[in-house]
Amino acid sequence: MHLVLIGMNHRTAPLDIRERLSLSCGEEGRPLAELLAIPGVDEAFYLNTCNRVEVLAGTGTPDAALAGLRDFVLRHGNLSGEMLERCLYLYRDEAAVRHLFRVTASLDSLVMGEPQILGQVKDAYRRSAEANAAGAILNRVLHHAFRTAKRVRTETAIAANAVSVSFAAVELAKKIFGDLRGKTGLLVGAGEMSELAARHLLGQGVGRIVIANRTLVRAQELAAALDGEAVGFERLPECLEAADIVIASTGSPGYVVTAEMVGRALHRRRNRLLFLVDIAVPRDVEPAAARIDNVYLYNIDDLQGIVDANLAQRREEARKAEGIIDAEVANYLEWFNTLEVVPTIVSLREKVDAILAGELERSHAWMQHLREADRDNITILVHAVVNKILHDPITGLKEESQDHAARPYVAALRRLFHLEN
Amino acid sequence: MDILLFRAALSLYLVSCLGYLSSLFARRVLVAKYAGWGLLAALVVHTLAFGARCLATHQSPLVDVYAALSFFAWVLAAVYLVFQVRTKTRVLGVLVAPAVVILMMAASAGLGGAVALPPILQGHLVSAHIVLAVIGEACLALVGLAGAMYLLQDRLIRKKRATRLLRLLPPLEDLDRINHLGLLWGFPLLTLGVIAGALWARTVWGTHWPGDPKLVWTLLAWALYGLLLHQRLALGWKGRRMAVGALTAIGVLLAALAATGLFFQSVHTFG
Repeated sequence: MHLVLIGMNHRTAPLDIRERLSLSCGEEGRPLAELLAIPGVDEAFYLNTCNRVEVLAGTGTPDAALAGLRDFVLRHGNLSGEMLERCLYLYRDEAAVRHLFRVTASLDSLVMGEPQILGQVKDAYRRSAEANAAGAILNRVLHHAFRTAKRVRTETAIAANAVSVSFAAVELAKKIFGDLRGKTGLLVGAGEMSELAARHLLGQGVGRIVIANRTLVRAQELAAALDGEAVGFERLPECLEAADIVIASTGSPGYVVTAEMVGRALHRRRNRLLFLVDIAVPRDVEPAAARIDNVYLYNIDDLQGIVDANLAQRREEARKAEGIIDAEVANYLEWFNTLEVVPTIVSLREKVDAILAGELERSHAWMQHLREADRDNITILVHAVVNKILHDPITGLKEESQDHAARPYVAALRRLFHLEN
Repeated sequence: MDILLFRAALSLYLVSCLGYLSSLFARRVLVAKYAGWGLLAALVVHTLAFGARCLATHQSPLVDVYAALSFFAWVLAAVYLVFQVRTKTRVLGVLVAPAVVILMMAASAGLGGAVALPPILQGHLVSAHIVLAVIGEACLALVGLAGAMYLLQDRLIRKKRATRLLRLLPPLEDLDRINHLGLLWGFPLLTLGVIAGALWARTVWGTHWPGDPKLVWTLLAWALYGLLLHQRLALGWKGRRMAVGALTAIGVLLAALAATGLFFQSVHTFG
């Protein structure tokens, strides 16, 4: 048995080609039926996300299967062969396993460590299983991939810290307030950036969102989308009094939130902590506000600095993760490599067991005069002798398989023992 | 028996302390979780040690300054565990657990010591004085530790660098809540403890306020805590200022402890 993998991702192929391929292949189980019809493909797995299209197949004849898979991609990609060859990657056995493990552990992702890919691989596997396209080989390799991904997530900090500005702001808010439930978010300016940040805040359970904008209509639009309240700029001071997290992103040339406004608001809010996030350029919040006790002010550069540091840390953690991948691939191959000798071992055992059963049957007659206990003892003895004799060749075969050197031994065994294919 | 249990409790405290410290470096919440369970186990064994001592001597186990230290450790651990459950922040254990271990080690110097109370220290008022004051002081010690962490975390957030320490330390608001709850419990308990002591002093020395350096320092700290609680409840002081106040006040309270026996002769110096 062999594993082959064919695919393209965000690094090897431009979006329009990935798009065409994934559209043509269709959704859900449809490509699986087509893949299983390819000669040589016994088991199939089809993964399609916005960053990649991958096909993994279990096969007894890897060359035929790969040729068939390439045809499949050529047909659906509807592109010149040369163009498609450049976008494609093909892997066999160990390389295929490693690639699958790296993809599942999010080491191959556009944003390294992003958590969605594991769920996407699981969904794709579920579809394979439902379409009866996953057999012994794929079940084993995919479960191993899930286990490896989990190890990478728990043993490295690859997915630990925010790598986007808006998430970095949310993480900081959590370091200030702990639980964000019941907190109030205030958006100053109703731009796209503040909407994204507001959605992150809502995702973390922030209770209330207030949107203050110079033009009230735009604020009302966004308020409707976010289920928040809209107010005009003139009410900003009182909003500052009630808010815990303020996200400012107006296009205003001057300061919209002055230090004096913050100081007065803080007094009226009885010194409750206030987190100001200023993602506007030019800045919306007067920098002097940061000097007030219990006020924390971050601007876009501060947040970007944190994101850069986190990205650097992820790259550092990725090195650790690759070590885990190496170990798990080796671990998997230990099982996978014995596959080429397993059928031979099974036939050998079956043949010997058949001989044994036949001979015992024939001896039945002359053993009649013995006591039952003695007859049992003779049976046990014969079995023990056979097992002892078979033990060394079987272990030897398994050992050879780890170095991919078992083929001549398999051939010899089959010939000498007249084992059926 | 009680000595054996005491030693077992000390070892468990030590294990829990190492757990909390290693959770800092291992970056694993699980380790801190186990350390919390270890602390609870230590607390239970410690309680048994007190019980065994009571059974053996048929009197309050608080006979000397060592027993008071041990009791202080017990209360600190117990109060901390309550806070840990209520605020879900385990990082404070990194400071509390070592403090408990140090207290227990100091207390172990008096193991198997005096079993008979001097007549002057007998009576329910003495026990009430010690129990109330020690529980109150444990709450306030926790407030002080939370204050130190608050100032550190405040500085880290203002420095705007994503360091590991920043992620490790608990959120500011949780630390501020510890300040609030600790003051709310600690100050009244300390007050009651001082009153019990004063009443008892009247029966022994005929005056409520024997001229005692420990008393002077404690009253100073008590006044500071009263002021802080007032600022917090009436004026809405929060966050940084309260953390600074808590650290100042705990400094004075520690001076009061140091005043006992170390530098001055006082009515609080025993045995």
